Amino acid sequence: MIFIAIIVGCLIGALIGLNSPIVPYTYSGYLAIAIIAALDSVFGGISSILNKTFDLKVFISGFFGNAILSILLTYLGQKLNVDIYLAAIVVFVGRMFNNLAIIRRYYLAKFIKYRDEKKNAKEKQN
Amino acid sequence: MKKEKLNNLAVAAIICVVCICLISVMFMQFKTIEETDITDIENMREAELRQTLAEWKSKYEETAATLEDTNKKIAEYKEAIDKDVKASKLIDEELEQSNLAVGKTNVTGEGVVVTLDDGEYEDIIAGDLIYLINELKYAGAEAISINDIRIINTTYIVDLGGFSYILVGDQRLEAPYVVKAIGNQDYLTSILNMKDSGFIDLYKNDDKKVKMETSSKIQIPRYNGEMTYKNMQIKEEEK
Repeated sequence: MIFIAIIVGCLIGALIGLNSPIVPYTYSGYLAIAIIAALDSVFGGISSILNKTFDLKVFISGFFGNAILSILLTYLGQKLNVDIYLAAIVVFVGRMFNNLAIIRRYYLAKFIKYRDEKKNAKEKQN
Repeated sequence: MKKEKLNNLAVAAIICVVCICLISVMFMQFKTIEETDITDIENMREAELRQTLAEWKSKYEETAATLEDTNKKIAEYKEAIDKDVKASKLIDEELEQSNLAVGKTNVTGEGVVVTLDDGEYEDIIAGDLIYLINELKYAGAEAISINDIRIINTTYIVDLGGFSYILVGDQRLEAPYVVKAIGNQDYLTSILNMKDSGFIDLYKNDDKKVKMETSSKIQIPRYNGEMTYKNMQIKEEEK
């Protein structure tokens, strides 16, 4: 059910995005930061699901809160003439890689376990 | 069971909304980047180029203004130079005329040559020469020389050593005396040849020998001496 929801959401989002008006170039930087923050939240959510510590409230608040905060920080950075968005990107992308590593390890462990079980089953058969 | 299903539905709906938000924003961003990437950067460049163009234009205007100023100055200087050249030309002409009049230049032209020589009993005296020169001047002679000594306004002619020599402007001369005069040939000859009262006729019955020739190409040298004046000064004109 959740998978269906994800797929439907993606399709609707794609349709909306393709039909939406063009964002001015100067604001596309903020949007990019928001996207990175959201993606970070998504990966964090997936890893937390795998660790069985997933909390919907945390996920939603992180998803929107991080995006809005990153936009605000980028704006502040522009006002201060400091490239804060670089720090945000570093943090978010680093966390994204961390979460991706967790996901990768989880599925690797699962795969190895599955293979060992198969091996054991074969040996038992023999 | 029912509650769990409802909960699941809510979670799915929320996830769906999240997906919609994320994906829509992502696609918006893709679109904007895809469509405005090149044109906007070009716009930025255009702004920069415009600024530089404006700067260059202002610089060009400044330079053009200075060029105009310089051209004006050059024109003024040229005008001044023209005036100076004209003035100097006038001065040169005046100087030439003055030199010609004073006798500082070699001159040539039509005129007469009168040769005076001592007779057997009578010598030529300074008075004869003075009289001849006066007659020539009366006839409009413009330049006169005695034995190639230019006669100028300060030249004197006096007897020296018992009439055997004549002093003409510091130079001692002996007979024969060749007097050259440039002027209108007709006037000169007619004045000198005037019947009875003319210079030639006066010495007709005299022992002194007087001979006159005409020539269309008489050459008279310039005055060689210095022209210094000690006593006279230019009077300053009163205002």
